Amino acid sequence: MRFFIIKLLILLSFFSLSSNLLASSSESIKVNPTHKEETYKTKTLSEMVAGFVKLTGIAALINPDPDELNAQGKKMSDFHKSWGRIIMILITFLLFYLAIAKGFEPLLLLPIAFGGLLANIPVANIAGEHGFLGVIYNMGLANEFFPIIIFMGVGAMTDFAPLLSNPKTALLGGAAQFGIFGTLVGAVALSQYTDMFSFTLQQASAISIIGGADGPTSIFIASKLSPELLGAIAVASYSYMAMVPIIQPPIMRALTTEKERKIKMKTMRKVSNLEKLIFPIMVLILAILVLPESTPLIGAFMFGNFLKESGVVERLNDTLQNSLINITTIFLGLGVGSKLAADQFLVAETLAILALGIVAFSAGTAAGVLMAKLMNLFPGTKINPLIGSAGVSAVPMAARVSNKVGMEYDRSNMLLMHAMGPNVAGVIGSAVAAGVLISIFA
Amino acid sequence: MEELNLVFEGLKFMVLGMGTVFLFLVILIFAINIQAKVIARYFPEVKKLVMPTPVIQKNTNAKIAAITAAVLHHRKLQSKAKNG
Repeated sequence: MRFFIIKLLILLSFFSLSSNLLASSSESIKVNPTHKEETYKTKTLSEMVAGFVKLTGIAALINPDPDELNAQGKKMSDFHKSWGRIIMILITFLLFYLAIAKGFEPLLLLPIAFGGLLANIPVANIAGEHGFLGVIYNMGLANEFFPIIIFMGVGAMTDFAPLLSNPKTALLGGAAQFGIFGTLVGAVALSQYTDMFSFTLQQASAISIIGGADGPTSIFIASKLSPELLGAIAVASYSYMAMVPIIQPPIMRALTTEKERKIKMKTMRKVSNLEKLIFPIMVLILAILVLPESTPLIGAFMFGNFLKESGVVERLNDTLQNSLINITTIFLGLGVGSKLAADQFLVAETLAILALGIVAFSAGTAAGVLMAKLMNLFPGTKINPLIGSAGVSAVPMAARVSNKVGMEYDRSNMLLMHAMGPNVAGVIGSAVAAGVLISIFA
Repeated sequence: MEELNLVFEGLKFMVLGMGTVFLFLVILIFAINIQAKVIARYFPEVKKLVMPTPVIQKNTNAKIAAITAAVLHHRKLQSKAKNG
């Protein structure tokens, strides 16, 4: 075996020598297929083995190359090259566990976590500009393209009938956006008066949009306003959305009385198909008139919904709801995962983002519930405040949580469809809020 | 001065943001209500008329015979069950 390798080496070195001679003798051949061989220097076997060992993952993790650059072509610290990567890989394993064993938004968490695993591989530089994660990121995340496609699919999956039959519940979806702006003020105040963290207005806005509980919107805003925080924001956003059934119920119980939780809402009127067909166009026209900056998100959302409600393009509707959104989800997840590289994720800001994110989420939930209580002070049909929490988007998880908590107090109280109203209004609300933030920084 | 400004900016964002969100949704609520009224008034959903299924003349006699036979058979079975 060894003899064979030596023979091969001799052969190779001879070949490189001869091609060298060839290249020098005839200058006309500048770019030739033996270009690689030209730069190949003859090595002894021990040199080769040493070179190979240097490029193994073990060596790169223990004793990283001092000149190695991160995906953005900047220098990174030794910690991020060695222990940082190991820690990040362990974190992705934790995410695998949460997604598979605990069922936390596995559709997104698994691609994100695997992307994170790949992005933390030393030497291979998969998240770099020419690595496939880098290509995916530049293809659809850097230009905010994938979130828009996801919005089309979500639009095709959304049924606005509950909102149309009880439109005033839309106010709950508006109140829940307080989570975004309340957190924004809090984040700016904390970066101003304490040393805990220092976020700019753009960064604070991008972080607080987590309170909208809408993954695509968060990614859309983050990649527009502060792409450097995208990974942490996306991970926070999707993990909190997955944890809606854990985060929301305590807040809902704390803010309501037992009597309020048992309020029964009257059955909804039937909504005609024509109403459902006109609705997306109406929302879009409204968005065009009030806030054109929100139309990329709302336009895509309503496009999907319009195709669905038109009833004549079942094939396109089916594609939007299934194949297209699935393909995009894979790419979106991997692209976000590429931002889980140690040098970008293992920074002090990430902890602050995770903390602010949960504050934003809780504030939104609380604002929705309180808004329902406020509306009950006025004459008219009463609203069960439990559906207020569904005003944060997180469709349809938040609505299911409202239903579940309601059933705990009255087995016969079906709140699901009533909660879908504020739920879909929350999607529109957070898209509007996103449009406001974009228009401020435009 | 600079420091004060940042929080104040944040508050302005909040007023503008929440104001726009509510304005948008309130207009939307009105629009939905108007739309519902207009549609109910001028374009009521036409209940699909149940078309009387055209009776196929062919084989009518044979069918009647079959049904009669079946009914008779059924009655026979029932009377048997009662007696038995």
